[in-house]
Amino acid sequence: MKNICGESFEVVLGENNTVQFKGALRLSGTDDYGPILGMLKSALEDEGKPVVVDVRELDFLNSSGITMLSRFVIEARNRSDVNLYFFASEAVPWQARSLRNLQRLMPALQIHLT
Amino acid sequence: MVKSETLGHIDEQAAQRREYLTLSFSPSSGPLRSRWRNNGLSADFLGDYVKTFLPANEDGSEKWRAEILHAVTYVANEFLENAMKYHDGDIDVPIGIRLELTADRIIVHASNGINAEQAQRYKSFIEYLNIHDAAELLIRQLEESSANPDAKFSCLGLVTMVSDYGVKLGWRFDVSANNPRITTVTTSAVLPFTNDSGEIA
Repeated sequence: MKNICGESFEVVLGENNTVQFKGALRLSGTDDYGPILGMLKSALEDEGKPVVVDVRELDFLNSSGITMLSRFVIEARNRSDVNLYFFASEAVPWQARSLRNLQRLMPALQIHLT
Repeated sequence: MVKSETLGHIDEQAAQRREYLTLSFSPSSGPLRSRWRNNGLSADFLGDYVKTFLPANEDGSEKWRAEILHAVTYVANEFLENAMKYHDGDIDVPIGIRLELTADRIIVHASNGINAEQAQRYKSFIEYLNIHDAAELLIRQLEESSANPDAKFSCLGLVTMVSDYGVKLGWRFDVSANNPRITTVTTSAVLPFTNDSGEIA
């Protein structure tokens, strides 16, 4: 298990290629989001296995964070063998609004909104 | 006399309103990284402040209030991030954010100082934003950003406000009477809301 922590957030790469986000992410740009993007991309290396991004407990994400997630999704799209799932929550307002854009970038992306 | 130019959706009555909440920051007070933390604190505060004044409904009230709170927080956070990022440190103009609440809308304004080149670049972006469908533009920008991670001037936050939150944006450029190279730019976001449907309009 690997994790990246900040004052207001935590990102954990757990078993079965699951990346779990918690808290509020408001980092300032590409450089600051680099380690998290690197962690997400590392989950793609286990070829043939499903990859799960769980954002249900991520209460806030700024536009730089949305850009970071889109880069990851485009990377996954460009590899033909990736089954990518997002677990999201209807109770967290940004998720219904912004995650649909990721699905437009990668139509095969499966979003489970609970 | 200050030379002013407005673009986009401008609320003409804003100047007459007496009730509003304003936060002002001195751009020279500490490094950007230290001030960045305050963006989140200030944005959360503005969202909570608005929530207090929203009427409670019988059904779906909490979801509606949570949606409004989040939208205000998101807009305020993006405005402050942009103001801190793009403010020209050589210009002695405070960075400000102002919140107004009326019977049917919430207006957030943010202002900062920019130089003539920045003003021109910003106006070009506004023109580009105004003639394109925001949802299409957002997808195109995300694709381009993925291909060119080092591109610095994206204003993606503004595009997401229009595309994902139905915000109407307006801009005011006030050129200094003493120095035509100094401009105070004020970006405004109008968030209409209705408490009938339980959704942001």
